[in-house]
Amino acid sequence: MVVTWNWLKEFVEFDLTPEELSHRLTMAGLEVDVMEKLGAGLDGVIVARLLDVTQHPDADRLTVCRVDTGAGEVQVVCGATNHRSGDLIALATVGTILPGDFKIKESKIRGQLSQGMLCSEKELGLADESAGIMILPTDLQVGQPVFKALGLTDVRFELGLTPNRADCLSVVGVAREVAAMVAGTLHVPHATLQETGANIQTETSVEILDADKCPRYAARLIRKVKIGPSPQWLVRRLEAVGLRSINNVVDVTNYVMMELGHPLHAFDFSLLRGGKIVVRCPGDSAFTTLDSQVRKLTTNDLAICDGEGPVALAGVMGGENSEIRPETTDVLLESAWFEPYAIRRTSKRLGIHTDSSHRFERGADINMVPVALDRAAALIALLADGVISKGMIDAYPRKIENRSLIISTKRTNAILGLALSTAEVSRLLSSIGLDVKHAADADQLVVGVPTFRPDLEREIDLIEEVARLNGYDLIPVTMPSGCSTGHPEPAGQGTVRRLRDLMVAEGFAEVVNYSFVHPDVSDRILLTADDERRIHTVVRNPLTEDQSVMRTLLLPSLLETAARNIAYRSNDLSLFELRPVFRPVHGTELPEETLHLAAVLCGRRAPLGWCQTEEPVDFYDLKGAVEQLLEVLHIEGASWSNATGEPYLHAGKSCTLMHRNRCLGVLGEVHPKVLANYDIAYPVFMFELNVASLIQEANAISGIQPISRFPDVYRDSAFLLDSSVSAATITETIAGVRSNLIESSVIFDVYSGKGIPEGKKSVAVRVRYRSTERTLTDEEISKVHDRLVRSMESRLKACLR
Amino acid sequence: MKQRLEQLLESGRQSVMQAQSDAVLQEVRVQLLGRKGELTALMKGMGALSAEERPVIGALVNTVKDSLESLIAERSAVLREEEIARRIEGERIDVTLPGRRRQLGSLHPITQVTQDVSAIFASLGFGVAEGPEIEKDFYNFEALNMPKDHPARDMQDTFYISEDVVLRTHTSPVQIRTMLKHQPPVRVIAPGTVYRRDSDITHSPMFHQIEGFLVDHNVTFGDLKGILTAFVTRYFGAEIGVRFRPSFFPFTEPSAEVDMQCVICSGKGCRVCKDSGWLEILGSGMIDPEVFKSVGYDSDIYSGFAFGMGVERIAMLKYGVSDLRLFFGNDVRFLQQFA
Ligand SMILES: [Zn+2]
Repeated sequence: MVVTWNWLKEFVEFDLTPEELSHRLTMAGLEVDVMEKLGAGLDGVIVARLLDVTQHPDADRLTVCRVDTGAGEVQVVCGATNHRSGDLIALATVGTILPGDFKIKESKIRGQLSQGMLCSEKELGLADESAGIMILPTDLQVGQPVFKALGLTDVRFELGLTPNRADCLSVVGVAREVAAMVAGTLHVPHATLQETGANIQTETSVEILDADKCPRYAARLIRKVKIGPSPQWLVRRLEAVGLRSINNVVDVTNYVMMELGHPLHAFDFSLLRGGKIVVRCPGDSAFTTLDSQVRKLTTNDLAICDGEGPVALAGVMGGENSEIRPETTDVLLESAWFEPYAIRRTSKRLGIHTDSSHRFERGADINMVPVALDRAAALIALLADGVISKGMIDAYPRKIENRSLIISTKRTNAILGLALSTAEVSRLLSSIGLDVKHAADADQLVVGVPTFRPDLEREIDLIEEVARLNGYDLIPVTMPSGCSTGHPEPAGQGTVRRLRDLMVAEGFAEVVNYSFVHPDVSDRILLTADDERRIHTVVRNPLTEDQSVMRTLLLPSLLETAARNIAYRSNDLSLFELRPVFRPVHGTELPEETLHLAAVLCGRRAPLGWCQTEEPVDFYDLKGAVEQLLEVLHIEGASWSNATGEPYLHAGKSCTLMHRNRCLGVLGEVHPKVLANYDIAYPVFMFELNVASLIQEANAISGIQPISRFPDVYRDSAFLLDSSVSAATITETIAGVRSNLIESSVIFDVYSGKGIPEGKKSVAVRVRYRSTERTLTDEEISKVHDRLVRSMESRLKACLR
Repeated sequence: MKQRLEQLLESGRQSVMQAQSDAVLQEVRVQLLGRKGELTALMKGMGALSAEERPVIGALVNTVKDSLESLIAERSAVLREEEIARRIEGERIDVTLPGRRRQLGSLHPITQVTQDVSAIFASLGFGVAEGPEIEKDFYNFEALNMPKDHPARDMQDTFYISEDVVLRTHTSPVQIRTMLKHQPPVRVIAPGTVYRRDSDITHSPMFHQIEGFLVDHNVTFGDLKGILTAFVTRYFGAEIGVRFRPSFFPFTEPSAEVDMQCVICSGKGCRVCKDSGWLEILGSGMIDPEVFKSVGYDSDIYSGFAFGMGVERIAMLKYGVSDLRLFFGNDVRFLQQFA
């Protein structure tokens, strides 16, 4: 909603600067999004007279003008063609800065001195388009600033209204708020009509067949109008509030809508078949609205019909079949009130949002129906020479009464943290036109709510008005008393935090991708036709197909992120994402949301540097990260098995992570075919873990081991083994020795190749021995270590090298 | 004898001082004090002395010996110092060469803001609650005083999964779920992902919110101002001005928009704050009696307030991020700045 300073002043007196008014409106809940001073900084654009206009000696399309500024003469070169000597024009003098930060300088144009610029309306921000320069009315005084001379100095306030404030969708509504602010009086215009035509009752009729949707419909008839352009003041005022001038009759309906907030509609009476109005739901039918669109109506759409069919979509938009044309002479003017839900349904279903539907949806004032009708009829008679028929038709089959509410001062103060008296509450509510009366109980007030405030339905709504009118600023800042014992954190929240922190410590950067993806991600990661992760929760109304299904795995989004980064030549990537995936569950309304933790790793292990080797990352970099995750969560004894069955993984370099028969997730190198689908040209390693499962398997720290005071001794042994013997079996075999003297064992070298027979490998193990009770002797250690070596030989057919 | 001892001391001092390494010094030591050294040789001549001279010369021999010993020790210490100093000088490196580095990890700014904001509210006694991202219409709208056909639903363009299931448009449904489960007093915040069908430079179809609410006996609008002022000043700085102005949300009444003084221009007016000097930072209000009704709280006994904020907006203001799309572009050059 846009209001202007001058327009507001017609209805209320106030002594505020534009800045103060803007601030006060914002603090009253009518947020000023933009304040624009029309003509501000344009005092240098003055009314000037063209003394003579001559052809530029060196340019066909330019003229050289001698201009009287009132204070002297200047010469200006001009490219327009619509100016004649003697005309009054708008001269931007040297030094003026025009809209668009265009500074006027003295210059030479093709050798001729130019001391200013003759402006068009567009250049002054007065119109979107203009042909030629602006020729001013002849009665203006030369030398005056143009904006002041034309009375265009004004301030526009663009208000960002909340949907509850339908009452402020008009200049009068905003003026009512201003009056409350400054304790002033609101003057609402009352039209005086000259009804010189025939009695309207004899000329037309209004019949309401659906009083539920339309409780009131009023009409006036104005004959012998002359359709034509509106006067400048009307055009300018409509432009100031963002409306385009169409013709004098339509402009009046728009003007009154902006002024009083009540949408009106003008029909060409001669086009109303049967010369009458019937308000009804015509049912399934097609109808062409003013914008030349064919609209399909259904059962519940309310229409304004004539004797045959629809001529307007009630409260939304008029019909092409009855619109005001240049040749129109007789106008039937509609002022009606429709139930908000009815307008909302139709406008939403058909996707038509108009200034009219906007107001009716939010709630117009039913008592404004005759007032707005009279105001518009008077203006049409004035501006289009119309003859108003005697009387109005006011069909009002379902009367809407003022609401009556009770407000308690005690409760008001209890909610707001204020200490107002009942008298103060009464004064505040009265200031916006509510009808406040004292109740039997001194704490209470009986409040009559006029129909212009449909949002005030309950006591709490009045309490909000009290807070608002008194000022939110005046409510003292306090802290709530009492304290809460707090609610237990949702299960696993601590674990999630630890997981994130560990991933960061491991050098991974967290990413956040959209939860919705393209349905083709299943194909891109080669999921088989029967894979249940192909079954997505589908968004019914996605913005794009890229965002049309909820993801069931994080991997595709991470691959896409990786590919995008690689395209920007960020080649060394370690990224993770910890967010839910969505799986539809048959028979339940909501899908299952499961937190996943996924990561991708590719490129070099360390950034390029003089002291670092340029090694690429491999499977074990990623596995190390997962191992440390498990360590932080105190998940012990997890197993890694080669078979994943995941089509998106390299079968030889991938595994499933299991713990106590629960699958925690998978890790491995991404299948080269998948990488090709993402245009990634080198290996990427990934893991995706089920965080819910990790949370279930996680353990708290417990049973901390004492630290031995005695020295350790280690023995290194290298074994020759079959290539197929896995590290896991070696570790198991060492564990099988079952000696409490073994503190730890580490595989520190794996080698095959030169010097090692085909099909064999050398594995070097360092076993660390220590006792918590004494310093171990060589003999004790040798006994255990020999047992270990024998066990390796017998169980794994290992040879000590 | 005495003269020869003094000569020995003097020549010994010179030898010691001339020794340039510990090895030479040891040779000097043997030469002077060793079993076959000069002092021993001199002492052999003591037998020829008289009984009166002997103790005097004996004492002098000891003094010379002690003097030489301490001279050698001092010289040795100096030589060792010099040796270390030489070695250190020889080991000088170029400290301006870059160090050995590992890839640094980073939390996404959305996570960082969520954690920091949660920590402030935790210190004010607020626990954390969660709810599903795909939500029933009832929790997302109906129970929050937004029945079907309510114009307020237009404020939030919704992604639908089915007629009655939506991608939640705000974190407020967590409020409903929590209140249905717990009786007052409750003090809870609910951070989470939300979705709206809107995508342009200033809107992302997926973004993040932090919802919070408090319900107890005698909670006032003043308390709302207190808690939220405490939050804004603790997160953005004690000098930041905060103002509350009337607004509208279907699930709160009275409702307030919370503005803070523009952190870019300190309230003087700039492009970010559209020359107003203020930035919208939170939506808030006293919980509407209709909401209490739908969760079975008695609004004659309890009152409370709720608030919500956009995580991306807060991150943009806190870190000076000018483009919303950066948060979801996941360019590592952006992410690494949050390490
Ligand atoms: Zn600013």
